[in-house]
Amino acid sequence: MPSWQDFQPFIVSGLALGGVYALSGVGLVVLYRATGVLNLAFGALGAMGALITWSLIKAGVPGWLSWLACVVFAAAVTLGYGIVFGPALARRDPLVKAVATIGLTLILYGLADLLWTTSGGQARSITFPTDNSGFMVGQVQVNWTQVIALAAGVVITVATGAFLRYTKLGTAMRAMANDRDITATLGVPVRKVEAAAWLGCGVLAGLAGLLLADLVALDATTLTFLVISSLAAVLIARLRSITVTFIAAIVIGLLHDLLTPVNSLTNYRDMTPFVIAAVALLVLSRHQVMSQSREEA
Amino acid sequence: MKRLMPAPSARRTIVLAAAIALAAVGCSSSSSTSTPAATSTTSATPATSATPGTAAVSTSQCGTKPGVAATGTPIALGGIVTNQPGTSFTDIANMANAYFACVNANGGINGHPIKYYIETEQTNPAQIAADAKQLVQTDHVLGIIGNTSIIECSVDSSYWQKLGYYIIDSGIAPECYSTSNSAAVNMGPRYSSDGAVQYALAQHASKIVFDQSNVPGTGYIAAGPAALAKAANVPIVQLTENVPISDADSVAIKEVDDAGPNGAVVLNFTPPEALVILQAAQKLGLEDRVKLWGCSTPCNTDFLATSLGPKWNSKLFVNAELTPPDVTNTAAMNLYKAILKQYGSAVSGGIGSFSQMGFTEAEIAVHALETITASSYTVANVNAAFKAVSAFNTGMLCQLWTYGAYPTHIPNNMDYTVTPDNGKMVTAQGCTQISSVDPQIAQYRSVAGTAQIAP
Amino acid sequence: MRATLERASPVRAGRSLSRPQLIKAAITAALLLFVLLGLPQLMSLYYIDTMTQVAVYSMVAVGLGVLVGRVGLVSLGQVAVLAIGAWVAARLLFATTQPYPLVLLEAGLITMVLGVVIGLPALRLRGLYLALITLMLAGAITVVLATVNFPNGGHGFLGYNGSLVHIPPIRRPSIAASDPAYFRYSVVVAIVMFALVLAHIKTRPGRAWAAIRQSEPAALAAGINTWFYKLWAFALASFITGVAGGVLAGAVHYLYSIDFPTQDSITLLAVVLMGGVYSLWGAVVAALLYQFLPALLNNWGVSADWLIILFGVGVLQVLTTAPAGLADQVPRDLARLGRFLRRQATRQPAATQGSTK
Repeated sequence: MPSWQDFQPFIVSGLALGGVYALSGVGLVVLYRATGVLNLAFGALGAMGALITWSLIKAGVPGWLSWLACVVFAAAVTLGYGIVFGPALARRDPLVKAVATIGLTLILYGLADLLWTTSGGQARSITFPTDNSGFMVGQVQVNWTQVIALAAGVVITVATGAFLRYTKLGTAMRAMANDRDITATLGVPVRKVEAAAWLGCGVLAGLAGLLLADLVALDATTLTFLVISSLAAVLIARLRSITVTFIAAIVIGLLHDLLTPVNSLTNYRDMTPFVIAAVALLVLSRHQVMSQSREEA
Repeated sequence: MKRLMPAPSARRTIVLAAAIALAAVGCSSSSSTSTPAATSTTSATPATSATPGTAAVSTSQCGTKPGVAATGTPIALGGIVTNQPGTSFTDIANMANAYFACVNANGGINGHPIKYYIETEQTNPAQIAADAKQLVQTDHVLGIIGNTSIIECSVDSSYWQKLGYYIIDSGIAPECYSTSNSAAVNMGPRYSSDGAVQYALAQHASKIVFDQSNVPGTGYIAAGPAALAKAANVPIVQLTENVPISDADSVAIKEVDDAGPNGAVVLNFTPPEALVILQAAQKLGLEDRVKLWGCSTPCNTDFLATSLGPKWNSKLFVNAELTPPDVTNTAAMNLYKAILKQYGSAVSGGIGSFSQMGFTEAEIAVHALETITASSYTVANVNAAFKAVSAFNTGMLCQLWTYGAYPTHIPNNMDYTVTPDNGKMVTAQGCTQISSVDPQIAQYRSVAGTAQIAP
Repeated sequence: MRATLERASPVRAGRSLSRPQLIKAAITAALLLFVLLGLPQLMSLYYIDTMTQVAVYSMVAVGLGVLVGRVGLVSLGQVAVLAIGAWVAARLLFATTQPYPLVLLEAGLITMVLGVVIGLPALRLRGLYLALITLMLAGAITVVLATVNFPNGGHGFLGYNGSLVHIPPIRRPSIAASDPAYFRYSVVVAIVMFALVLAHIKTRPGRAWAAIRQSEPAALAAGINTWFYKLWAFALASFITGVAGGVLAGAVHYLYSIDFPTQDSITLLAVVLMGGVYSLWGAVVAALLYQFLPALLNNWGVSADWLIILFGVGVLQVLTTAPAGLADQVPRDLARLGRFLRRQATRQPAATQGSTK
């Protein structure tokens, strides 16, 4: 069993990984709270946005403008999707709405791989100026980008939580996610509120995509399907609490990395998000067993 | 579940129109080739590719009758390469195709042009088996060259043996080196990792950490470094990582922790994954925490050297299976660069080990085909010619290349070691033999002997 | 209560089939005979190998179709179940010399048991949660498979030997060793699986599933043991997918964990939706989309990414405008076209008559 000294650097990297999961997880829950849609295309939006940023930077466009392009792209596509398909699916099950976003995911993923092909020995990467400066914690160096990612997660959690609860627009969004028709009869401009929610989600997806492209890898497959691991945190919060999502994401990231030095489990550590989510869901739902009704003989 | 009322027809029309448009465009487009704007920079800008004192080489040297286009019945050859998100070996086949185009424009093979059929696959055994049958039964190829695939050798080797095809490939799977019908121009992951570990041992590393991607064949690959470390009485830690790596930080920390300050970390990953690990090590400030870092051949690209930056100069040592193109000024190397420039528009990676491999394989195939004196070309005489290639100087390898009638083939078993130097890969050590401590190498050398070093 | 269910069903044992149903059955039989006997003669080995994959994945698709279309349960983990079935079959084929049909049966049964054991606690969840937890379980299984690997002739429980330089191929049945013969074998197995599903649909489970899909609380109120029938659907889907895994093992000869990534389950759901979840033909259409189209495009040199995009568009189209998928929509569109043409044909003589007056 590794010593405390051995675990120490993994706490730092685990928090950073938790920050990565938190960015996607919080973004997913925020949109679900606002529109009732679990946007599985969150990763794909960010991936394609990040690839656009990469191309722009290569073409010589100044850094901050290229980053802005990522956010604008993600916001525009999400808004477009929300306007075209939101109303059509509004009355359907959350499951159907989530499956529809799978459609968007596949379209974006296919396009990203088509336009930015894999070529032989090349690899793409995005770096931020904050990547190479940081501070030492114990034996490892923490760079500012990781701090920014973690801080962004916290800020988004707190800000959107407050927004949804205390502002008029936020309350309207929550009401709409609950029951669209009744909210409409109350005089809330549902289309505008919905559009605002989608736009917000798009902006979050773009921001997350940029940060993840730097922290993880700039690769369409990795970024698109990273959302599957983030779903674990979302499930633990039962798609309801943004704060619980954030905390769950941090815990999952920590546990994942803390398993690294344990030689018997290290090859299985990628299972951490899935196992935790499955166990948590089953534990949390144990009191909700539907009462059985036996068929009469 | 309540059924939804049919949506307005406008929505349906838009979606259907989009589908039809995409399908129409898809049907009319050719195979996916990357557009220049979308790919990353090639590893060599014009300044770096022109070596000092290079004479302008005419590509017409590739054929026997310069300037005369070949017009006879085509000789059909085939190749199977992986092309999937994250792993693409199409550069190898495309470079071979470029060489054949050059030959066809300069006399062909006794006046016959070569028609090269390329099948791509996505690491799916059923698809790979189907591709092989397509090449043989539908395209009627007489020889197979240029195969580069994670599992093709495993899936098809018994098929090739049954039909009598002797393949010239860039091997990855164990069967590319351990069967009678496949001879590779490269070393493959096991022997390339051997080379990297050998160099680390030569620098007196006190411990080896060997980390590789978890793709088929890890046990076979790990056995080589394990044997080398054991013979040198150096402890070795074997790790594998699931790819694509989403958490490079923990990987880097573990490697450094396990290696210790006098140890060496040797990686066997594709360039994007290796880059992610090394960049994570640098961001964490760990690159100086071990004696040295090593990498098998996939790391040998100028692109990696540029992306890593100066902190890795003489810190990372990469095994190079092929002669470094930037510092070599031989006729073959110049011909390679000229053909790449004139015919190699489909080779997106530019100068680098992938296109070098494609060039070498095509070169060997053409050399073999030119020895055939029969009036018509058949599967039998083409493959007999391939098998008969002996002590051929490719100009791209340390040694002369021989196919030979052996039960196993490891014809390329001598390597360079390169290291990044301010954005380019430079030679750190010249041609060194892979040690016979690796039992497979010993077994091969016992039947084939040790090949002559290329002049 | 049971009587209520029985009266609701239009087909009762002993009643003869109506004329359209007879025609439909005759066409189906003719098509199957053509596939079994005619296709192998017409197609090159490349396409025969591809069609074997179509047969395999049509079984997987029909399992998923039962879950999604008949019961309303979305599973995002069927590819992981397929991998388990393939693993079990490969282990048995290497370790024993049992006849192939027995191995297929065992693979199906073991996969069914695993599917039930894993599905049991998950059935407390519904809708989106159930879909997501199947995705989580599939992700976990994929990671385990990546470490444990598929059997390759080695010893021990896992049957995996990592240092082999010559991996032995997974054997095929002695009567179906060649590719065309194995294609026919896999089609026969698929027919048996489809018949199994049909038998379920036409009898009590099918009626119970229809009631559950319509409204679970109402079904409960009507006295149907929804939990039991949902579990049965899971068991059936797992069994069929397990058998499909066994057929896959023999088809490919070599199995690798990288061939069963988690995201493939997502693509599988997309094609099953596009093909149509309410009809058995939809499963065949789904398998053709999933395996035949990529092989076709690969042959033409077109990138498979276009298909991914098409699947994405297809999912959106199905969910917003055509819930029953292509298998339902294409015949309906063809029928509509037929009616349109007939109307044009009958209108013409009237017009000419009118003009002569």
